[in-house]
Amino acid sequence: MNSPPETPSAAERPAVTDAELLTAHINGDTHAFSEIVKRHRDRMWAVALRTLGDPDEAADAVQDAFVSAYRKAATFRGEAAVTTWLHRIVVNACLDRMRRKSVRPVADDELIEAAERETPLPDQTVEREVSMEVSAALKLLPSDQRAALVLVDMMGYSVEDAAHVLQVPSGTVKSRCARGRAKLAPILSHLRNRTDLNRVSSAKGAELRDG
Amino acid sequence: MTGDTHYDLDILAELAEGLLDVDTARQVRGHLAVCDPCGELLADLATVREVLAATPTPAMPMGVALRIDKALAAEAESRKGGGVGLADTPDWDELMRDAPWERAAEVPEPARFGAGKVAEPARTDAPGQDATEPVRLGVVADDGTIVQARRTRARRRGWALPAVAAAAAVAVVGTALASTSLLASGGGGQGDTVAPPVAQSKAVSTPTPVERNPTRARSYALTDSQHNYSDQELRQPLEGVFGPAPIVGGGTSDAASVDKCVNRVADRSKLPTYAVDQGQYNGQEALVIASWKDKAAQKLRIDIVDPFNCKNLRKPALGRW
Repeated sequence: MNSPPETPSAAERPAVTDAELLTAHINGDTHAFSEIVKRHRDRMWAVALRTLGDPDEAADAVQDAFVSAYRKAATFRGEAAVTTWLHRIVVNACLDRMRRKSVRPVADDELIEAAERETPLPDQTVEREVSMEVSAALKLLPSDQRAALVLVDMMGYSVEDAAHVLQVPSGTVKSRCARGRAKLAPILSHLRNRTDLNRVSSAKGAELRDG
Repeated sequence: MTGDTHYDLDILAELAEGLLDVDTARQVRGHLAVCDPCGELLADLATVREVLAATPTPAMPMGVALRIDKALAAEAESRKGGGVGLADTPDWDELMRDAPWERAAEVPEPARFGAGKVAEPARTDAPGQDATEPVRLGVVADDGTIVQARRTRARRRGWALPAVAAAAAVAVVGTALASTSLLASGGGGQGDTVAPPVAQSKAVSTPTPVERNPTRARSYALTDSQHNYSDQELRQPLEGVFGPAPIVGGGTSDAASVDKCVNRVADRSKLPTYAVDQGQYNGQEALVIASWKDKAAQKLRIDIVDPFNCKNLRKPALGRW
């Protein structure tokens, strides 16, 4: 669904690289940073929205992140991709926000109430309901597991890319994902019958089972 | 080895992620081969991955994008020592170059959406906007959640507004209303990054020529975003797409033929048309016609018709503003 951060498709690879834009920005080009923002804002929005589960919080976090990136562009070191660096700033802004507000884990009965609050329109699709359930379920996870699952399972980044963003070893990302999925399994497993995922997951299961 | 001991989700998740050592992995696989309940748990874990991957990731709403542009412009300003710097006001044409509605040749009439909400008393029994979105506010989980919900609603307006207000700033030079909105909206919850004077200087210095095209005769807002809609997008609130697009003036033959289709749809639906956008639906030229189904609940009926024969391109569906 989403390409990993380091590998934009050939068709959309821009003439000017992110790194060149960032250099131009540091050298005083007033439009360079806008271009960077335009290129990456959707992805950053998706990461923040899924990590925080609240559009207002996500808007604040992404704004903080872009402003912060704007300010500390000079500290960017070329060994990381600009996208990885931006992701890191956004994820950290989200994690900071969660810590500062000490967003507490949500209890199970609150989940039901949250679902009621977000009452869908009568003929809204399965897809949207699933999206809301996923949002609510993610909020049950500790922030480190949530951030890992958002990057790897939702955004489709490789474990290695996620490890660079989160600045932890790959093994740590894997184990956070594993623990997160184990927590979500009882909550989300009923969705298997609501979507056409059944076939895929069974095939995956069988593949794992058979080694 | 594969007796009565079952494995829990954590072990199975680690197996799936390749985190178990070789011996343990072999042991667990052996068990899975004969144990249906554990196989079921493994399938549940796979479901989690699939569900997460299948959850759509929406694009950043225009209001948020504009807000960020504004914050960055303020940052650029403060970096220069807070000078007035009219020459460095954001180049909105540049910033918005790729926005779908920028292709429209028509002149923006940005006040229309805002005005429409109050100027159509006959069509609604909702007294005000706050009363129109009661769903989230109505249910109370606990203290923390109440506060969160109220604040959320109030602040959402905060960044939903600039999309329209900023469009106004581009089009309407020096309009007091526009700059006031920008100032007001710039003040909300943006920490140390806001410099409202920038917003104001932008409002007065934008050189876009203004030309007004009255649209009063039409009872709905007509926009020409040329946006290519998908079903998925149409399930999102439409304000984000319709709201910022420039209003198309009346009098053109194009607008007249649109009007014909709109009237035909209104005849079919028996609902008041609120907004119409000229764009595409899955790559095909289309009119997206939004009419109020239940204004109090912000529910719209969305008809998508081809602009030539006014035939529905898909089943009318419910949407939100």
